[in-house]
Amino acid sequence: MGRKVELLAPAGSFECLQAAINAGADAVYFGVEQLNMRAKSVRSFVLADLEQISFLCKTHGLKCYITLNTVMYNHDIKLLQLILQAVKKHEIDAVIASDFAVINQCKLLNIPLHISTQANVSNIEAAAFFADSADLIVLARELTLSQVSDICKEIGRRQLKGLSGKPLKIEIFVHGALCMAVSGKCYLSLHAQNASANRGACTQECRHPYKVTDLETGRELVVDNEYIMSPKDLCTINILDQLVNSGASVFKIEGRSKGPDYVYAVTKCYREALDAVEAGTYSLEKVEQWMTELSAVYNRGFWEGYYLGNQLGAWTSKPGSVATEKKVYLGRGTKYYPKINVAEFLIETGSLKANDTLMITGAEIGAVKELVKTLTVNGVLAEKATKGDKITFKFPYKVSGKDRLYKLVANDG
Amino acid sequence: MAKLIQYREKCIGCGICEELQPEYWRMSMKDGKATLLHAANKKNILIRPIHQSDFETSTNVANACPVKIIQVR
Repeated sequence: MGRKVELLAPAGSFECLQAAINAGADAVYFGVEQLNMRAKSVRSFVLADLEQISFLCKTHGLKCYITLNTVMYNHDIKLLQLILQAVKKHEIDAVIASDFAVINQCKLLNIPLHISTQANVSNIEAAAFFADSADLIVLARELTLSQVSDICKEIGRRQLKGLSGKPLKIEIFVHGALCMAVSGKCYLSLHAQNASANRGACTQECRHPYKVTDLETGRELVVDNEYIMSPKDLCTINILDQLVNSGASVFKIEGRSKGPDYVYAVTKCYREALDAVEAGTYSLEKVEQWMTELSAVYNRGFWEGYYLGNQLGAWTSKPGSVATEKKVYLGRGTKYYPKINVAEFLIETGSLKANDTLMITGAEIGAVKELVKTLTVNGVLAEKATKGDKITFKFPYKVSGKDRLYKLVANDG
Repeated sequence: MAKLIQYREKCIGCGICEELQPEYWRMSMKDGKATLLHAANKKNILIRPIHQSDFETSTNVANACPVKIIQVR
């Protein structure tokens, strides 16, 4: 590979995994069953998927890491051991964890370990402590760039090695959701809805608007921005050259609950940006282009996180995403003609016209944008297709009945 | 008679059901999920009748489940 920095993308489903592969990720991370921080997510893998995940990653030359990063209880130990045996069997490249039960089991089974950001490693001594068990440390998200850089330098100076005997690696977050809790250790969902974020059941209480009421008088306090607990999303593409120089060697994109369109768009931008930094062609013009592309997919607005020593204050001003584009569901794949590379879709709802930008998502496709200039509806050229119509167009990927067709439109909020 | 229903597949193993109603629930040491005791199992949906005196506690359990896979009907 020879790349200085490894780009690590999230994969919450086979669609997202394929999207990460297509977009040029060097590695992916994913969770199975309930012992991961996205246990509540609608997208999830099961234990039996490990073989296919490993196969796909090996075929495409990607590393794959499994998250076992929840708090563990006694009743989880058997499942944990079952998962770790499968991890060993299917040669998953590493486990991401912070619970000492997982750390210990990985050591016993000789499985490479990455220390999760949940462990809140914020200094060189903590990193050195975990070097006896792990090959990589995901640093706390709250560190500044100079703190990251100092830790990396000190690892070099002390020649700290991980358990494998290779130099200890450092991973940092470069893009995606941030939360108000230190290293994700949040109890807000537990208090509000008995759903522990630390068991992968975060209910996003911090993303709601709140008001402050005096219970004695009923008077309400004026709060500047009622989204007082919901920070904007991390985006570092405009400071990526500085991040590369920090010495961190793995750059992580957050978002195992996000869709394949998000994974593709974000991974692609950071792939291009990292390649540009390495080639010496990273420029302000390119950053502007990437920012436009990143703004089109799910986001709560962007800031550079804590890396530049910014004070908290970059709070969201709206509920949910401020993405400039949104997907509108149209229908499903019905047929593929491989000799002429033509795909057929049934429109189940809504309508589309020639020159609409479409998006097709699927487990073998990932997420692919397609501008359809000429529209063939039920076998004849037409300007518009509506519910019940079958449309066909040239498409280089094989389409199956599970693949979904969307129209991309401007998100007016 | 009221029934307790557990959609077991989506259980995340938090253990609150066993904590609140230990006579009805047990955390499985095999897969870490909660199991509704003495229940009929239809495609991983567990169902058992409950006595009227257990109705309130069962409702509390259903409300406490973080992934809302427990119902009282």
